[in-house]
Amino acid sequence: MNISAYIDSGILEEYALGIVSPQEKQEVECLTQVYPELKAELELVEKALEQYALQHGVPVPGRVKDTIFTQMKFGPAASAAAADASPADIKEEGRTIEYDTTPIQEDARVTRPLWGTLGIAASVLLAIFGAWAAYQYSTTRSENEQLAVEVENLNEQTNTLQQRAEYNEALAANYRNPDVKIVNMPGLEKAPDSEVVALWNQKTNEVLLDVQNLPAPPTGKQYQLWTIVDGKPVDMGMLDDDFMGKLLRMKASSPNAAAFAITLEDDGGKPSPTMEEMVVMGKV
Amino acid sequence: MAIHEPNYSEEELVASLKQNDRTAYEYLYDNYSGALFSVISKVLRDNEKAEDVMQDAFLKIWKNISSYDPDKGRLFTWMLNIARNSAIDAVRSEKRKPGMDDITENLDRTDQNATYQPSPSTLDLKALVDTLRPERKILLDLVYFQGYTQEEASKELDVPLGTVKSRIRTALKDLKHYFKI
Repeated sequence: MNISAYIDSGILEEYALGIVSPQEKQEVECLTQVYPELKAELELVEKALEQYALQHGVPVPGRVKDTIFTQMKFGPAASAAAADASPADIKEEGRTIEYDTTPIQEDARVTRPLWGTLGIAASVLLAIFGAWAAYQYSTTRSENEQLAVEVENLNEQTNTLQQRAEYNEALAANYRNPDVKIVNMPGLEKAPDSEVVALWNQKTNEVLLDVQNLPAPPTGKQYQLWTIVDGKPVDMGMLDDDFMGKLLRMKASSPNAAAFAITLEDDGGKPSPTMEEMVVMGKV
Repeated sequence: MAIHEPNYSEEELVASLKQNDRTAYEYLYDNYSGALFSVISKVLRDNEKAEDVMQDAFLKIWKNISSYDPDKGRLFTWMLNIARNSAIDAVRSEKRKPGMDDITENLDRTDQNATYQPSPSTLDLKALVDTLRPERKILLDLVYFQGYTQEEASKELDVPLGTVKSRIRTALKDLKHYFKI
């Protein structure tokens, strides 16, 4: 190989300037190892450029050196860790952290539709179902309440009918019973429209009252039944305030009762009737 | 930068640097940071950014010293490549290519700065460097300091590529001659 021709080609200068192709770079590095003359020549070029650069050096602000050297660790032990302490790696770590967090966020974004949307959808559905269920429940409950009222009404009607039936049956039984003395008590001047029937079983002396019509007693007043035995009024008991539509069981009568009468007395009754307050009376 | 009395030979300096010796790095910084900073400043034209790139470059040198192979070239050539590439990367990150418009200005500036530390030896060298003909100096600065390829320099200066190559080669011959002591 013609060493001087290679030197004259100027490739060593280009190599030193850093403007050779990768192939030329490899070639120079190889040849300078093989030919000491080339290596020496390259050294001269490099030294010349180095001196040139040093001649053009400009002062670096003092703070830069401090900043740099505070980031450096020295000594054999620190040598291995030097790379870890360098700002480039710190920067890379920062990037790594960024890259690490970004996928996590992306994962979160990806997974959110998977369970988040389902969760939202589920809660929406649940809310809709809940509303529907509440509506259904309230509707059902109101319907139930309505039904209950209707049932109650029916029961009441049934009870009323039953009571009326029982009442009618009892009336019929009493009217058919030959032992029962039917005593009609028409209304007097105080209550002319009033009409009460006394059903007196003369065998048992049991007395039932069938109030067909009586004025509602004023507050604090109560109707009281009397019999006249031997010309004297005998207490037969107080009438229930709820006296309509049923047979009221009264005290047993004396077999010698000649008449039945009802007076309007103070609550709880009196030992002797107030004659002015007599509403109905019937002779046996 | 100060051209210190070389109390390190190149081999000793490299060995000490590879052993992560602080004194060696201080020496390296004190003797070479000015030259590296000059290149970075010329590429970036922004002193604040140049300082940042200077930091990055020197820390890269420190971090990657184990990959430096003396058989492939001198330490400074390797360091200058790191500094220049760091600066060019920083410029590219700004999507701006160093323009020709301020090269003369930069040359003037760095030439002025270069005189800040006169010593007998540097005065001699300075005088020698100044004997480079301007058309060669500009090319050398474009290619060596600013990382232009010879083709780019040819286009930038509107000079034929062959002329660029011959001028650079001549400039380097001159430099070799000056510094061959």
